[in-house]
Amino acid sequence: MDIGGFRLMNNLVDFFHEIGKLKGKPRRGWVINDIKNPESIAEHTFRAAVMAWVLGDKKKNLNIEKVLKMALMHDLCEVYAGDTTPYDSILPRSKKKRAELMKTWPRFSNAERRRLAKEKHKRENKALEQLIKNLPIGLKKEMKSLWLDYENGLSAEGRFFRQMDRIENFLQSMEYWQKYKKPPQGPWWAWARELFDDPLLLDIIGEMDKKFHKDKKPRI
Amino acid sequence: MEERDNFYLTKEGLEELKKEYETLKALRSSKIKGEAPSILESEDLNPDYITFQEDLNFLETRIAELEYVLEKAQIIKKPLKTHKNEIDLGATVSVVVDGQKDQFTIVGTFEANPMLGRISNESPVGKALIGHTTGDSVTVSSPIKSIYVIKKINYS
Repeated sequence: MDIGGFRLMNNLVDFFHEIGKLKGKPRRGWVINDIKNPESIAEHTFRAAVMAWVLGDKKKNLNIEKVLKMALMHDLCEVYAGDTTPYDSILPRSKKKRAELMKTWPRFSNAERRRLAKEKHKRENKALEQLIKNLPIGLKKEMKSLWLDYENGLSAEGRFFRQMDRIENFLQSMEYWQKYKKPPQGPWWAWARELFDDPLLLDIIGEMDKKFHKDKKPRI
Repeated sequence: MEERDNFYLTKEGLEELKKEYETLKALRSSKIKGEAPSILESEDLNPDYITFQEDLNFLETRIAELEYVLEKAQIIKKPLKTHKNEIDLGATVSVVVDGQKDQFTIVGTFEANPMLGRISNESPVGKALIGHTTGDSVTVSSPIKSIYVIKKINYS
């Protein structure tokens, strides 16, 4: 192998090693809800990708290869940027106050929403650039474009997966609720009813509701 | 690409898409000719466009998407005076939800982004609020209910 080829392989191994760190990074939303042994970012990605494949296949004219690539890479930036939640900017230190806060969906002014979204985008963009900087140029461009598409909903695939990703999150919250009676489900439903508008995904939510709330409905 | 009969867009949203379309076409043209695109020197250029410019495939896909959306665009019109106090597409609504103040605009699915205060008219909350007026309390349930008390409706 020539020097260029050796360097490429070396860079790829470095990249694989870095993204492997997502296997050990717990999702912050569960940590702040005091969930025991919460899932990792990589575990979320795994199921989101499978769900995106299966559900994306039911949609007309979606490029499933693109959806799957997007699913696999959408949280890679979190290797360096970390995971964020809508509660981060208002999170109290006291465990008791934090548990109270988790019972409400945080609402901000539109100016504050824009500021938070801009900061998150900037932080994650910088982290992604850092992560992919030594990848072959074609791959680097593809990853960046896919991430921007997901972030901004620039294509049918980006708009679908932006909601699909949150369905996986919602499903996990119901599974934890069934097992631990937390996180409180009220904020999740308040969030979901404003966020989702894809008819197929709304049907899936209806089925999830039936499955997890068959015997006992959450009150908060 | 998702097939739809139309895409409801706000006037500002439509203007932005037209601007993006023209910018991306200029970038594509420069790229094909192998020139350095002069538009990249513009101060108000969205930095994301620089990434698009580097990826011709992506640029082509986005241009095709914009062409389709612009062709099917249906601009959200202001309601008649008699309906100004009724929530419809384009309304900016101030509400109190379960005791918390909030404000959002009802838009079509293409512009929806609740994290930026834009709620789709096809979402459960969007659907429930449409047709209601100031002072109404709208309950959105299943399985946990939320009550939206409508405080103000504005069409800009």
